[in-house]
Amino acid sequence: MPTTALEPEKILKDLRNLWIDLGRENDLAGGVLRACGMTLVVAAEADMDMDALRHTLGVLMHTHPARAIVLRFHDSAGMQANVFSQCWMPFGKHQQICAEGIEIRAGRNELDDVAQLLLPLLAPDLPAVLWCRGPRVFWGDGFKPLHPLVEKIIVDSSTASDPYGALEAITSLRKQGRLVGDLSWTKLTGLRELIASLFDEGAAKGIRNVEVRYGGDMPTASALYCATWIRRSLSVPVTLKHTHEGPPGLRAIQLSGEHDVLLTRPDRTTMEVHCGERVRKSTMLLLSEETLMSEELSILGPDAAFDKVIA
Amino acid sequence: MLKPVDSQNPFADPLRFDRRVPDCALVIFGANGDLTKRKLLPALYRLAYERRLPDSFAIVGNSRTEMTDEAFRQKMYESVKQFLEDSPFDEDLWNTFVRNIYYVSGDLNDPKLYTELKTKLDALARPNVLYYLSTQPSYYGPVIEALGAAGLGRSTDRGWQRVVIEKPFGHDLDSARALNARVHSVFPEEQVYRIDHYLGKETVQNITAFRFGNGIFEPLWNRRYVNYIQITAAESIGVEGRGAYYQEAGALRDMIQNHLLQVMATVAMEPPAAFEQDQMRDERAKLLRSVKIMKPDEVSFHAVAGQYRGFREEKGVDANSQTNTFAAATFFVDNWRWAGVPFYIRSGKKMPKRTTDIAIQFNSAPHALFSSDDGRAPRPNLLILRIQPEEGISLRFLSKYPGSGMRLRPVSMDFNYGSSFGERSPSAYETLLLDAMVGDATLYTRQDMVEASWKVVTPILENWTERSFDFPNYDPGSWGPAESDAMLARNGHKWRNA
Repeated sequence: MPTTALEPEKILKDLRNLWIDLGRENDLAGGVLRACGMTLVVAAEADMDMDALRHTLGVLMHTHPARAIVLRFHDSAGMQANVFSQCWMPFGKHQQICAEGIEIRAGRNELDDVAQLLLPLLAPDLPAVLWCRGPRVFWGDGFKPLHPLVEKIIVDSSTASDPYGALEAITSLRKQGRLVGDLSWTKLTGLRELIASLFDEGAAKGIRNVEVRYGGDMPTASALYCATWIRRSLSVPVTLKHTHEGPPGLRAIQLSGEHDVLLTRPDRTTMEVHCGERVRKSTMLLLSEETLMSEELSILGPDAAFDKVIA
Repeated sequence: MLKPVDSQNPFADPLRFDRRVPDCALVIFGANGDLTKRKLLPALYRLAYERRLPDSFAIVGNSRTEMTDEAFRQKMYESVKQFLEDSPFDEDLWNTFVRNIYYVSGDLNDPKLYTELKTKLDALARPNVLYYLSTQPSYYGPVIEALGAAGLGRSTDRGWQRVVIEKPFGHDLDSARALNARVHSVFPEEQVYRIDHYLGKETVQNITAFRFGNGIFEPLWNRRYVNYIQITAAESIGVEGRGAYYQEAGALRDMIQNHLLQVMATVAMEPPAAFEQDQMRDERAKLLRSVKIMKPDEVSFHAVAGQYRGFREEKGVDANSQTNTFAAATFFVDNWRWAGVPFYIRSGKKMPKRTTDIAIQFNSAPHALFSSDDGRAPRPNLLILRIQPEEGISLRFLSKYPGSGMRLRPVSMDFNYGSSFGERSPSAYETLLLDAMVGDATLYTRQDMVEASWKVVTPILENWTERSFDFPNYDPGSWGPAESDAMLARNGHKWRNA
């Protein structure tokens, strides 16, 4: 679609025309179903790979159809916008589902103008979520003018150079009453579920203390989250310990109690649980950005477990 | 993502953790039948695809046909490939999934079968076992008793034993009671899962969400604002080779006694105090017990039977069959909320289209300021809960037609599942099988619900058994016999044949 001057009414008109065109193109093939359950505002750097982001959005739309508003910030001044659609044919169906999108390019010092422009572009009366994609977008520049416009802010603290500072920033945001999601926390869901299942099965009984081991120079945000989560769930001492084995990140968890249980990650796809002589292997893949985002977008209200960790 | 792994578990995170299926085996009796091929195996495969089943999950199929494990696996492979809906088939996943599929042949009346089954289950060493009765209904009692005799029905400290029973649960009130007694001689009620797949449909579950999750509808959900309610389950196909079975059942038994009365209970029940299985089922049961039982002389006034032209020529159908392929009834609920509001329920085969929906017709505005653009009195608001095929909700209301003057025209406000939630909802069998394995019976029917719904239809069944109908009385492709329209017309109402 052609570039549009930045008047919200004109962008919305372009969106309407986009749907008219889509309807015409698909008229003979059963038409299109316009899907929109929320607004997803993606704040990203101008040099970000737009194809990769489009792919992520394309996959996300299948489970969370949304009006996507992609904000790309660059160093020079000047705002531009264009509209686009993401369509897919559900497996075994005959009608395409399409979601709409708006891409806005703006200078870094035009954030206030962007916030003003954004308000009329949000899908009315539906939830709005801000996804700060990329390290500078959230941690460096402080996108505060956008925060009041959305119900939830999603960040990825693994992109921050200082994980302690990142967690502090998230805690502070939460204390201001904002709902926050952190993909570093989302990455832990599989591991947390595994630990919960050990408790259910009785393998992790009478735990007295826990050691969370990490590789790299300092603990990652995920390692910090994991340690805090265990400490606050069990009220037992939890130690963070550096290990030279393996790459940076969360490497192992030792639960010491009636039986000692050791969870290790021998490679990128497996989790091993050592309980006495027994070793159990579980597949634990590194999740894609769209999988992590999909989980976060399915929670648009308070998240008690995460709140407990960042409190 | 609904239930905690364990509410006592300090690590529980019900918002994010999937409900965990424990190590278990599923034993399917009637594994060579249509239900297993078309519904159960595709649903189980899909659960495996979604990683909802443990790696150790095992299936043991049984039927009379002699077959090796390998032959059974091949059959199931073909079935899943053919009947998997809305999902791609993944060969690699199947190769993992199929390793734990086994087969034990044997006659359901032969005690040896249960000894062999016990040997197989002992060898598999799964602590929990779910038995699924997908056999002819006449086998339900004998199979359950045989399981008990073989020591296979008792839950222990090591694990649970549960049984899923397909409909029909009895063919009348007495037989349902007798079957319940036989079932309870082996399995206590909390281990019994009577399946009604309508309750597993996302759209039927959404009725509860729609009513009790929103503040604006429930205040209107009563006799003061609702004029009448219609529930329609229409099929465009006929009996499709199931003539022999269908001849014994008929639309009243096959659809209304179970599925549609359960849907009606979900639409009309009181709000439960909590979204918990017993509280939900208590309210549905209470509603079914409140349905006014027709007196014998009321049946011809409040119920209509039909049979489509050509049914008697179907394979396996008696040339003088009196079976109803269409049934419609007017029910009233004797409680404060619904007193005097008719619930019209109909189900039929060979109707103009396949559709299941619930239409709630509200009262007209108390004072008519406007007329509609066709000069008639404005049409009242109508709320439609569409169960299938276009799952969604619509609200009809009046709007001013653009231009000078004040002409009103009905318009529709639509919610479509696809437009808000993307592409796929789990099938009813995925939901219900998972529920049975995690021990959640909310969407299963309880003994008292089954018996209450049989009581509701008993006067109609008795009346229709004694009568001789002048069948066939409706054409394929029509909305049933004229008497069905007349039944509503007597109250000044019309079927919504949209």
